[in-house]
Amino acid sequence: MSELAFISPGAAPLVSPLARTLAGAAGIGDLSLLGKLEVRNADPGVLPDGASLIRISPERVLVLCPEGERAALKDVLPGFVVDLTAALAGIRVEGEPLLRRLTDLDLDRLPAAGKVAGVPALVTRDGERFDIFFAQEYGASVVELVRDVQEGLA
Amino acid sequence: MHGSAGGAGAVLTRLDPQPRERIDRSAELTFSYRGKPVTAFDGDTIGSALYASGVRVFSRSFKYHRRRGLLCCSGACPNCMMTVDGVPNVRVCAEPARAGAVVHPQNVLGSIDRDLLSIVDRIGRPFTPVGFYYRTMIRPRRLWPTYERFLRNVAGLGRIDRHGVRTTRYDTEHRRVDVLVVGGGASGLRAAREAAAGGERVLLVDENPCAAPADGFDVVAPARALGIYEGGLVPVAAGTLLLRVRARRIVIATGAVEQPLVFPGNDLVGVMLPDGARRLVEDFALAPGDRAVVLAADDRALAVADVLRRAGVDVVASIDLRTDEPAKIEAAGRRGRLHGVTIDGAHHDCDLLVAAGTPQPAYSLLAQAGARVEYDTSRGVFCPTDLPPGIEAAGRVTGALGEVAPTRASHGGGFVCICEDVATKDLERALAEGFDSIELAKRYTTVTMGPCQGRLCHLSSIRLYARLQGAAEAAIGTTTARPPWAPVELGLLAGRSHEPAKRTALHARHEQAGAEIVWTGAWKRAHSYGDAAAEVRAVHEAAGVIDVSTLGKLLVTGPDAAAFLERLYPNRFADLKPGRVRYGVLSTDAGRIMDDGTVARLGEEQYYVTTTSTGSDSVHGWFEWWNASWGMDVEVVNLTGAVAAVNVAGPNARDLLAQATSADVSREALPYLAAREATVADVPCLILRIGFVGELGYELHFASPHAEHLWDTLVGLGATPFGLEAQRILRLEKQHIIVGQDTDSESNVLDAQMPWIVKFDKDDFVGKWALEHARARGPRELLVGFEMLDGVVPPEGSQVVRGGRPGGRVTSARWSERLERGIGLAWVPPEHAREDAELEIRVDGRLEHARVRLQPFYDPDGSQLRT
Amino acid sequence: MSFLLPCPHCGPRDVNEFDYAGEVTTRPTGTPDVRELAGYVYFRRNVAGVQREWWHHRFGCDAWFLAERDTRTNEVLCTEVPAARARS
Repeated sequence: MSELAFISPGAAPLVSPLARTLAGAAGIGDLSLLGKLEVRNADPGVLPDGASLIRISPERVLVLCPEGERAALKDVLPGFVVDLTAALAGIRVEGEPLLRRLTDLDLDRLPAAGKVAGVPALVTRDGERFDIFFAQEYGASVVELVRDVQEGLA
Repeated sequence: MHGSAGGAGAVLTRLDPQPRERIDRSAELTFSYRGKPVTAFDGDTIGSALYASGVRVFSRSFKYHRRRGLLCCSGACPNCMMTVDGVPNVRVCAEPARAGAVVHPQNVLGSIDRDLLSIVDRIGRPFTPVGFYYRTMIRPRRLWPTYERFLRNVAGLGRIDRHGVRTTRYDTEHRRVDVLVVGGGASGLRAAREAAAGGERVLLVDENPCAAPADGFDVVAPARALGIYEGGLVPVAAGTLLLRVRARRIVIATGAVEQPLVFPGNDLVGVMLPDGARRLVEDFALAPGDRAVVLAADDRALAVADVLRRAGVDVVASIDLRTDEPAKIEAAGRRGRLHGVTIDGAHHDCDLLVAAGTPQPAYSLLAQAGARVEYDTSRGVFCPTDLPPGIEAAGRVTGALGEVAPTRASHGGGFVCICEDVATKDLERALAEGFDSIELAKRYTTVTMGPCQGRLCHLSSIRLYARLQGAAEAAIGTTTARPPWAPVELGLLAGRSHEPAKRTALHARHEQAGAEIVWTGAWKRAHSYGDAAAEVRAVHEAAGVIDVSTLGKLLVTGPDAAAFLERLYPNRFADLKPGRVRYGVLSTDAGRIMDDGTVARLGEEQYYVTTTSTGSDSVHGWFEWWNASWGMDVEVVNLTGAVAAVNVAGPNARDLLAQATSADVSREALPYLAAREATVADVPCLILRIGFVGELGYELHFASPHAEHLWDTLVGLGATPFGLEAQRILRLEKQHIIVGQDTDSESNVLDAQMPWIVKFDKDDFVGKWALEHARARGPRELLVGFEMLDGVVPPEGSQVVRGGRPGGRVTSARWSERLERGIGLAWVPPEHAREDAELEIRVDGRLEHARVRLQPFYDPDGSQLRT
Repeated sequence: MSFLLPCPHCGPRDVNEFDYAGEVTTRPTGTPDVRELAGYVYFRRNVAGVQREWWHHRFGCDAWFLAERDTRTNEVLCTEVPAARARS
């Protein structure tokens, strides 16, 4: 049985999928290198400090944690666990007006899985701060659209 | 108080300050009209400022080029349409005046005062009856471009400036509310306040700038609701912002629209709707005339007579149509300007005729939402009824109009539709020609199809048709209400055009290397780095590396993983040993090829499946959909973006790889079709030894954030980057198919010459029955390789010809430098699918010669691959 | 088309967040003849009324589920997640 080491980022030099596209961008934080573990068919239980979760469905939960804690957390989480750190890119932006031009999701019912900037995404909210996770291959496309919307609001 | 009756340039003194006037008399601004400066107050519209400066003729009508003046002053009619700053069809009566605006009349040849095209009205009418274009200007057909140019110059609204550069930014915003109120009049405001007081989230929109303060609810104005769609979706056009509003309750308080009376001369300059006259006085402190006659059918409209008197206008007659409706009204004028009206024989000199019938409830949005509409014979208008759940109506739109009575359908002739110049005679003619339903009449005469979209003419046209046919209005019915309720710019509906693109983690490296980037489905990929032939050579002679991160990658894991794949694929995978990889072709239950890829076994219960680049989402969905029915104990994870992949191929590939890893990559340790995990350049990888491009090759799969590091290492060790084009040539030399290129929705794996894929001894798999039938029936066509005998390369899609008849098609073709021939794949009838069979392929009208080759052109026995 | 489809996990969402995956069909058991196979592969009841069908919440939770929808009004009467899988 393979540990699937090849799907997890390791020690070798890493590049965030958003590194280049965010150069010169203001007001967009890069969350792409956060640890992201999908847990299926089990309740993740109590998470350590610094970790949080987004529930996708009754059977699927995405656990977020600082990059350094990913390996340890993966070992202790119950159920079927797969490392999606490399699969998903993430951004942090501020303000409902921005989100209202990126998605038709109900911003009072977050976290949620839905369409943001034209792509499937997971969105959480803390006050006016929104964290958005999506497939990393859409990175440049999403950032391009967010910057365009920021320009329109300026 | 006024300039002379004919004068443009004669400035009108404003009335004393009116209590609710919108102008700020302390702030002046200047814009230009026909090249000359016009002064306005802040708060004026372009129309009110032009009126104040003496302009009376604002436009020429669509078809007959008749002079038209202010009628409604609310943006409903077409009479004041001008071109402002290059933008055609601006209703200046509603457009705020702004400094520096450049305003011109439109649809005139010559000037607005002397429009040469008015000849159409004076003598052209016999040639241009309703529907004339269905009978004339048809033959000879080759003259149609001439007719078209003529018609475009003679009729129409404004002209689009094709050479100007003007960009407008349109944005789209989503809003979620509990209650959307459309209409900011008294009823709308009341409904909004009540809902807000009840704790609901309320949005109110109105077509005009909204003066009322908002108490606990949001107001967006001016903004037009364009329609009501399923799920309480209402698009609202607010300038350059499109609001997509989702509301749980929608309250329509759009009021009722004053209806012009139908009588000869009803389109003369000086004939106005009551609210239009009222606005000039109350909003802009302008007297709409010197001597006025008022004809109206409700209290509110009749009260305009008092407003006019207070403004110093001599109201010589005021007639309540509810009690004293005349049979005949005839307005007369000179050069399009009203100078008098005769009402049942009694003549009145006047320069202002305020005339309206019973106001028609503006029910269109309600009808779009599914409400029914019924004719109320006691009021003479259509009213909405049977509102669907979630839709409410408030105010005059419900038919609560105060005391009203029906008026005559016509008072002796005149225009029914001033937007499209449709007169009563035109409707009579349409009826005589057999277009007896209102839907047909609409399409034949174009009544209601102009800028007012029926607001001012829908009711009249139905009532006239009812009278002409001796039928009840209820029997005539209304035409279907459709969005958009008001004309809307296409740019607003389009918004920001943005197509989400997928890029691999190596995209920057491709751009830096000068690659030509192309779309493959939603992916951006490197087509070539400048010289595809050189890239092919590098792969054949040394080593090349290609970014194949776009491949779909699915982890299939669990106790039922093997059984799951056995049921899905025609192939056998249960006997695939851990550490081995195999090529597989997915089929549908119709037996058709759906996708292809590799399946590697990583463990007893772990498989790693690759798919085509454009198929990853559909194959993932396919797997999940089948398992939703089967309920097998297996998890499928889409790793397409998580894992990047590169393919290193060429005679030197092994030596090169050995320099990047301490793992044993010898032929014995890593034979053809092996799947091994190893660290390469400090990056944990899965190495698949497979050979799409026909040379010794290793496909490395690893976490995408490491892509640039690994790529740089491999290129640094001597691998030449190669792109899609080189890959296509290389795989074609091996006759490896590309699903979707060489196969289509009808192709099955047997006809594609891969019978060994299908294990018919398996109990059941998706496609088994269909493939059994296909095998029994025999193929209709077969996929074969071919080589060209001359130096030609046929374009993809070229027809294969045999005995003068079509016999197949080319799916792929390229020039192979190594083989010095044009090569390709084609579907041909089975009898031609023999080694050496001769084919003719139609290229540029000539027949080129080719020969069938059933074995790969390059390395047919695969010794290069297995080395 | 803009009706709201209630995802069993995410609640009512714009229908364009989903992929429609067709009428529920019954896969033949045994070995169907050509006629039966063609019926299963190509023919659909296509009722003007309540239809049982598959949906995939492509832009959301990614779930595959069943819905009963009146094709005349787009009113969704109920949704159902297929029975939980056998899990060891």
